[in-house]
Amino acid sequence: MASRAGAANLLVDRASPRIAAIDWAPPRIAAIDWAMAETAMALGLPLAALAEKRQFVRGAAITLPDACADLGLRGAPNLEALSLVSPDLILSSNFYSFVEPQLERIAPVYTRSLFVAGEPALPKVLLAMEALADHLDLRAQGQETRAHFETEFDHLAERVSAFADRPFVLMTVGDARHIQVFGADSIYGGALARIGLTNAWAGGTEFGFNAPVPVSKLLAFPDAHLVLVGDVPQNAQRAIRQGALWSALAPVRAGRLLSLSDNNPFGGAPSALRFADHLVTALERA
Amino acid sequence: MIRLFFVAALSSIALWGLAALSALPLSQWASPFANPATLLPEQIFFAFGLMPRAGIALLIGGLLGLSGALMQAVLRNPLADPTTLGVASGAQLALVGATLLWPEALALGRGPVALFGGAVTAGLVMALGARRGFAPVTVTICGMLVGMLASAISTALTLGQGHYLLSLVIWNGGALSQDSWHGVFRLMATLVLGGVAAALLARPLVVLSLGGATAKALGAQVGLTRFAALSLAVILSGMVSAEVGLVGFVGLAAPALVRRLGARSVTQVLLWSPLAGALLLSVSDSALMALAALGGPEMPTGALTGLIGGPVLIALLPKLRNIVPPETERSDLIAPRATHPWKRVAAIVCVTLILTALSLLGGRGPDGWGIISGDIAATFLPLRATAILAAASAGALLALSGAVLQRLTANPMAAPEVLGVTGGAALGYAATLFLFSVPSPFTLAFGSSTGAAVTLIILSAYAMRSDMAPARLLLAGLAVGAFASALLAAVMASGDPRAWSLLGWLAGSASRASVSGALALSVMAVVGLGASLLVSRWFDILPLGAGVARGVGLPLGRVRLGLVLGAGLATGAASVLVGPVSFIGLMAPHIARSLGLVRPASFLAASWCLGVLLMTVAAFGARTASYPYDLPLGLFATLIGAPWLFVALLGRRHS
Repeated sequence: MASRAGAANLLVDRASPRIAAIDWAPPRIAAIDWAMAETAMALGLPLAALAEKRQFVRGAAITLPDACADLGLRGAPNLEALSLVSPDLILSSNFYSFVEPQLERIAPVYTRSLFVAGEPALPKVLLAMEALADHLDLRAQGQETRAHFETEFDHLAERVSAFADRPFVLMTVGDARHIQVFGADSIYGGALARIGLTNAWAGGTEFGFNAPVPVSKLLAFPDAHLVLVGDVPQNAQRAIRQGALWSALAPVRAGRLLSLSDNNPFGGAPSALRFADHLVTALERA
Repeated sequence: MIRLFFVAALSSIALWGLAALSALPLSQWASPFANPATLLPEQIFFAFGLMPRAGIALLIGGLLGLSGALMQAVLRNPLADPTTLGVASGAQLALVGATLLWPEALALGRGPVALFGGAVTAGLVMALGARRGFAPVTVTICGMLVGMLASAISTALTLGQGHYLLSLVIWNGGALSQDSWHGVFRLMATLVLGGVAAALLARPLVVLSLGGATAKALGAQVGLTRFAALSLAVILSGMVSAEVGLVGFVGLAAPALVRRLGARSVTQVLLWSPLAGALLLSVSDSALMALAALGGPEMPTGALTGLIGGPVLIALLPKLRNIVPPETERSDLIAPRATHPWKRVAAIVCVTLILTALSLLGGRGPDGWGIISGDIAATFLPLRATAILAAASAGALLALSGAVLQRLTANPMAAPEVLGVTGGAALGYAATLFLFSVPSPFTLAFGSSTGAAVTLIILSAYAMRSDMAPARLLLAGLAVGAFASALLAAVMASGDPRAWSLLGWLAGSASRASVSGALALSVMAVVGLGASLLVSRWFDILPLGAGVARGVGLPLGRVRLGLVLGAGLATGAASVLVGPVSFIGLMAPHIARSLGLVRPASFLAASWCLGVLLMTVAAFGARTASYPYDLPLGLFATLIGAPWLFVALLGRRHS
């Protein structure tokens, strides 16, 4: 418990004193992409506006300022609401390149390619912190924040070194018979690898709008720890406890089933760190 | 027929066996009656996963086949199926609503919720249909309207809450995988009871097939029979929705297939359709399982039935007898002609201008409702004006192509969205997204226009063979639409980031429009109106039939091709900016006609203007209803237009 609070505090405390000390007015930043939003917040830059704030606050690893405005859907941001915020900079990612021409009408857009199928996402997310800091002439701050996250991951890696040879499968439960699996190209898969654990799922991440994976695929990982990430739907909870298929899985029989509340697979480094922290804590408790 | 069914059954067994063998060697195949504690995990997955899946595919196919056959027998309409009655969309809406707003309701499983939603929509459709004695065309239109309303609301609910409802995505896909035998038992009981009920209804339905008037004269309980058969069909398809989700096209394809294979009487169709449906779905599902077992992608079965259903139906089309009897459309009364049509057009123009000005200046912001204030107007107005111009032009283009298509086909139900043209546009858009790494808005517009035009040309090529018989054209359009949405579902299922772009587009937001895009659209809309007014004489002649048209010297082939291409381009260009919004193309011409605007010139002008009006109001609603969450334009176009259409379709008979 203490470690979890510690990590969370560090994330929040970093922000304010530094800004005050430099006596520098931070740019008004609006974010469409959640990973970029978390990146800016991790750098201590308060967000003036965020898309899908309503959903974000349910799963985010960071606390938004009260004044942060909601911009509506990420795929169809409300340009009127965005223009009312009069941002200096809009943060976006490759997911939203199709709305960027419209965003450019309001303010300059800073965009990065973060989630690409088959390419590890966590290194890109960590690099984005330095890159965004550079872009805003805050190079030192970027390097320092990056170093802080790397240190935190290193600490977590030390704590789980005993599990280093155990395979893990990270998944979100869709319904009783289908799951989504996180591969190395997700921040959760990246966090797992970063703290020295093995992802048993060699394929790419199966998230987003993809064909869900049938539960039978889990038969291939009898030795793994199964990690359920995010909310488990009502009817699936029952199936996991009592259903024939789930009960037949070796990890479930052996009690190697963990459930984490993390709910922001498209977040940035803070979400990745918090996930790793939750995972390590759960493993230590088990 | 029997030989074909036998081959289908064998190939289904072979494919399933292939999938099962790759999961578990034959020597280890386990019985579901064995004690689970003695079984290996792989054997449990075989006995409680693979085996019930084979059963569920057969049962669901049978239920949908029976349901579709009943609906088609009652409505005497080969286009009727659970989807066109709105049952599937109603179940979907209930599930979405429950998942988002009242998750506890799902604790008992999806069954009761889905059945409730399906029953409510079907009840609504039947209540509306009852006002016209269940006249087939009216019931089909009502069913489609209600269905589109329900799915538009589901989409809006999902979008307003974030799109991560994986369980709903799975349900929408129609995945047949199982984790116990409970589903098989439930559906088996349903099929047995439903089969008995259908057997009891067979005789009254035979009498009914002689035509409403004849049946009444023979002393049949026409209304009661129709109600009972439709209720049965709804319950059967509702049970399927509850169990596995949306499995489209089987209810439509199975009866069409057995009719094509020689089933003549109502009894024969009722008897053979469940078998055809069962085999159709079983072969598809086994093929998907074998594909996945051989290392292919995991695809939901519901998506595949759409893919195979479309081409099969189109292939069957030229050989289909024209089954819709002409009397069935007779009850759609024509509104009295307006004596001064241009006065009415002028009134529509005035209302449109006033509402457009209001929606430009008024609206909703972070501080609530109000008129735009001076100091922010400079940044604000250009943004909003662009969105309104784009939406209005798109509305005009869709309405115009709807009006042109309705005149061209002499079919009041023809519209870009009904004919699958927006589906074709969506495919063109998707193809462009995947062909070009960074497509420009104009490339996308060109892509979706091409998709729309190609769809229309293919459709016309088939339909021309019999001078565009309405039933044939509609069936082909439905097939293309289902094929398009099945392909889109597969694209969405690929997990490619471009699927996000596609999803954003499907949601359809006017604020997406750039200044140049909006201007280009408006130029197109104005040019389209001018061009169609110049050739308005054609529209007087075309509905009179090919003979008359040739007689007065119209180059029929070129005229049709030109009009079809124009409508396709207009639809594609409109939908690239505002998404495949529905209904404007169907609704605006309907409203124009019901205002008594029958002569082509005033009809086209009024439809065009009503398209502007409807889309402007829709854009206002989409922008303000759940500020700052921009909702799909199609939802609001549907919300505004559907009630109007109900009144127009149903009300006048009694007045």
